[in-house]
Amino acid sequence: MAKIFGLFFWLLVVNIASGQDKFLTKEGFVSFFSHSIVEDIKADNNQVLSIIDTTTGKIAIQLLMRSFMFEKALMQEHFNENYVESHKYPKATFSGEITNLDEIDDTNTVTEIVGTLTVHGEKKEISTMVDIRMMDDEIVLKGDFKVDVADFKIKIPSIVANNIAKTIKVSFELHHKPYE
Amino acid sequence: MKGRRFKLILGFLLLVIPLLLASIYMYNKPHLDVKKSEAAYVLTAQNLIKEYQENETTTNEKYSESVILVKGKIFEVSTLKGNSVITLKDDNSESSIICHLLPEENGKVLSLKVGQDIGIKGICTGYLLDVIMVRCTLVE
Repeated sequence: MAKIFGLFFWLLVVNIASGQDKFLTKEGFVSFFSHSIVEDIKADNNQVLSIIDTTTGKIAIQLLMRSFMFEKALMQEHFNENYVESHKYPKATFSGEITNLDEIDDTNTVTEIVGTLTVHGEKKEISTMVDIRMMDDEIVLKGDFKVDVADFKIKIPSIVANNIAKTIKVSFELHHKPYE
Repeated sequence: MKGRRFKLILGFLLLVIPLLLASIYMYNKPHLDVKKSEAAYVLTAQNLIKEYQENETTTNEKYSESVILVKGKIFEVSTLKGNSVITLKDDNSESSIICHLLPEENGKVLSLKVGQDIGIKGICTGYLLDVIMVRCTLVE
């Protein structure tokens, strides 16, 4: 299953990457935040790959789960080994579309992104509002959305259930540059 | 009677305190010190990219979570949020190795030049369009 999805992703990347109107970043930022009465947990990933095709509005995002950096080493270890099982599912992906991309200008800078998020081998349809800035030499996407841990079949042991929120806030900031 | 209770409490404390200390230590366990760690694998940029392109899954299992030392030519030096990023590239491939360096390496990076041969030690997190390495440090 993962292989098939991987193939789709590559087809999309190859399709997207072969033209002139592609924008890309390999240093995108994605972070997640979990708030609970016991503790707040935050992890940042600064190595996110994202590609936009401006002719179709299609967007493909890929990131490595192991690139999420936590403040505490133990949290990072538990996250990778027990919760998201990075050895089995090393990547998270998003493949979707920026709606009304052709209507974006200096005054109209908010639109919607709709697509499929895959984490821990589980797919989930996501739609979220994004702040978008379109320039000749850069496209910036910024926003956040919420996901339920349970939707991705991530098992949290009951002993730490109070330490981890049921709903996680995901924030992103992607500065795409023209792709030659 | 009194002496027995005292012994019980003492025994209990002797048992609980080390457990408590151990869990506090575990909770605050520091991140792996890449600089002090011996590299589990030493390889060239070319070989690392080749291994990932031939079989991503097994290569991931082999290298992820361990400290590796990669030798290659500098293709690009840039910064991201105040930290240096060095890209090593193999002439025969479109892919590269993107190394995100620790903040304390910034000073040393200034003297580096594109095209120079260097060694970078760090933790490999996997492969997207390129191999990604984090917590990297320069090796003389």
